[in-house]
Amino acid sequence: MDADRGERQARGSLIGEDDMGSTITKRQFAAALPWITPAHGLLLTVIVIPAVYVIWLSVTNSTFGRAPSFVGLVNYVKVLNDTYFWRALFNTIFIVALVVHLELLLGLGMALLFASGLPFRGVLLAAVLAPYAVSEVSAAVIWRYLFDPDVGPVSVAMKAIGLPILEWSIEPSHGLALISLLSIWLHLPFTFLILYAARLSIPRELYEAALIDQATPLQMFRKVTLPLLVPALVVAALFRYIFVFRMFSEVWLMTQGGPARQTEVLAVYLYLEAFRFNAFGEAAATGWIMLAISLVLGAGYLFALRKDMTSDAR
Amino acid sequence: MTTFKMNRRTALGMGVGAAALATGIGRARAQGKTLNVLAHRVHQASLTQGPAGDLTKAWRDANATEVNWATFDSNPLQDRLFREASLSSTDFGVGFLVNSRATRDAAKLMAPLDDFQRANPIEDFADIAPGLVAAMRFDGKLVSVPFRHATIGLFYNEALLEERGIKAPPQTLEELVDQAKRLTFTSAAGTPVTGMVLASDLSVFPVTFARAFGGDFISGDLKLVPDRGALEKGLATMQDLFKAGALPRTFATTTNDDQVTWIQQGRAAFTVLPFARFAQLNNPQQSKFPGKIKAIEFPISEALRGKVPFASVVEFWAMSILGNARDKDLAWNFIRTMSSKAVTTGAARNGNGPVRVSTYQDPGFAADQPLAAVESKALAGARVPLPAFPEAARAQTIFLEEVQLAVLGRKNPSEAVGAIIERVKPLLPA
Repeated sequence: MDADRGERQARGSLIGEDDMGSTITKRQFAAALPWITPAHGLLLTVIVIPAVYVIWLSVTNSTFGRAPSFVGLVNYVKVLNDTYFWRALFNTIFIVALVVHLELLLGLGMALLFASGLPFRGVLLAAVLAPYAVSEVSAAVIWRYLFDPDVGPVSVAMKAIGLPILEWSIEPSHGLALISLLSIWLHLPFTFLILYAARLSIPRELYEAALIDQATPLQMFRKVTLPLLVPALVVAALFRYIFVFRMFSEVWLMTQGGPARQTEVLAVYLYLEAFRFNAFGEAAATGWIMLAISLVLGAGYLFALRKDMTSDAR
Repeated sequence: MTTFKMNRRTALGMGVGAAALATGIGRARAQGKTLNVLAHRVHQASLTQGPAGDLTKAWRDANATEVNWATFDSNPLQDRLFREASLSSTDFGVGFLVNSRATRDAAKLMAPLDDFQRANPIEDFADIAPGLVAAMRFDGKLVSVPFRHATIGLFYNEALLEERGIKAPPQTLEELVDQAKRLTFTSAAGTPVTGMVLASDLSVFPVTFARAFGGDFISGDLKLVPDRGALEKGLATMQDLFKAGALPRTFATTTNDDQVTWIQQGRAAFTVLPFARFAQLNNPQQSKFPGKIKAIEFPISEALRGKVPFASVVEFWAMSILGNARDKDLAWNFIRTMSSKAVTTGAARNGNGPVRVSTYQDPGFAADQPLAAVESKALAGARVPLPAFPEAARAQTIFLEEVQLAVLGRKNPSEAVGAIIERVKPLLPA
């Protein structure tokens, strides 16, 4: 086999090896080309070319009615020296950390609860999934009303039982907390579904074996459920990291980044630079900086995911 | 049961059918013209809905052209307008441009209108407020024709004033503050009422309070904070209202639409809005107080009363032809007709702020419109909140941020004004 491979490599007909170790010949590649070209063409059109354009934009001084002029890395320096950028980055990381982890915990708890058997499971499942069908605009309007400090039912109820209300329009920390809660409420069904499906796919025999070994429920969770849920947890966490990191609508609809730009997140910062101040160079630089930061934050998860996928494949 | 099988013949037939359908649609489209207009919903509504009816119908019939309105909120509208105008060509013919975004750079994206005006002039062009027209002229070229002004006034809920035993609306700013505090109460209907509601994302409101003391943010000749003491007093007044609960706890996130809702629902007694909102605020289908929402000119401070006229804040919209529009003649034809005296008066009846002086002098219009006289008076001395310059949007954002910090009590007004001066100064044109 190896001799044949060496011979083909020498002839130049062997052009590579896929993730599973299978070899690909030039003929196979030529046959596959028509099938993979549309997908690659699409990627090139909607991702690669716009990305290159945004790189070019990020090194120019560009606005409406003026021809772009090359300025090198000035826009990156400007953005990195802007206190609003750092505040937006801090707020984004705060929201990402709170939303992703709380959502994973809640999603996991609910998945286990549903898997353990609940009465009226269909109705409860529909109720849990319902927020995912609500548009972000409607959700923000509802939440703004619910938490209105003067007349909102939640605020009125909290006052009635002597609890302090969320002053989300005055206190930036309250604003960020409310935005996080709204995001969790809207997207919990996504996390829940991934974890619930993963939990249902764990073979019943493993739990039966654990019971024979007289494992406690906690031990079963730690030794059976959790290890087998890790791949699903990583996938859910990675997706939510990506989605929450670029969060825009929840913040824009709830607070518009206020009071006084103190609940601004990176996507809102980018939006203001691009569409209010028409500073396209700074906005493009912000976009690339966001991408770099999210890659750094998500790198661990990506490596874990790749390791898991390749080990499964082999 | 019949089963459907896809084979080469069926696929070919379906392909030919789809091509024929597409050709048919294309021909049908070519027979009637369409003028695409980039506008705010309020522009569309004032030209197509209301007591004066659809004012575009006669033009559409005469030109066998349909008007396709693409409407957006103010900032997204300007963004879309500039983006469309930056392309090599666009399907949009007419776009509405707001005065605060009409900079020299923006003007380069619009078609100069002087040749159109010479060849096929707008009726009695001199009747359109000359100050507004001048603001749309760059390097001697007219790039936009004023269509709508929004001059602000003080709206009040007469029923709530009566409930608190207040017989007349305020004549001075000090009276306004006093009444707003008294009107922060729970009404007989059980509604918690806040004295005044203002949006926090527009510079109109703090500029109005500053002007009540004779000050400004940036004057027409680009002087930054021409009277520091007056702006500080304006911010201190707003801070005082907020501390007293006479501005909503949600002040920092209140929007223009919230203002309308709060007044219509009786949740606030006073607000500052364009006079043109009168019909909407009193609309029986939306308002709990139809006929009870009245308006006056915003009151000046006691110290300046009778000494200097109050300069109300005015913003205005104008109609432009995008520089890369395919059919500029059709676009001009539309602008020309929509700027006629008859359409201007009709649009005013539909709720538009008319830019023609003659509209206010029309006895029929004045008799029908309870605010015509007060609006006309306010418009005479009105000024834009800040002049247009390339970094105006960034300057306004900084201004609003500092205003919010002052109103919420995070900074004292003097610190906030100091920060405004320090941070906005580098953004002004040299």
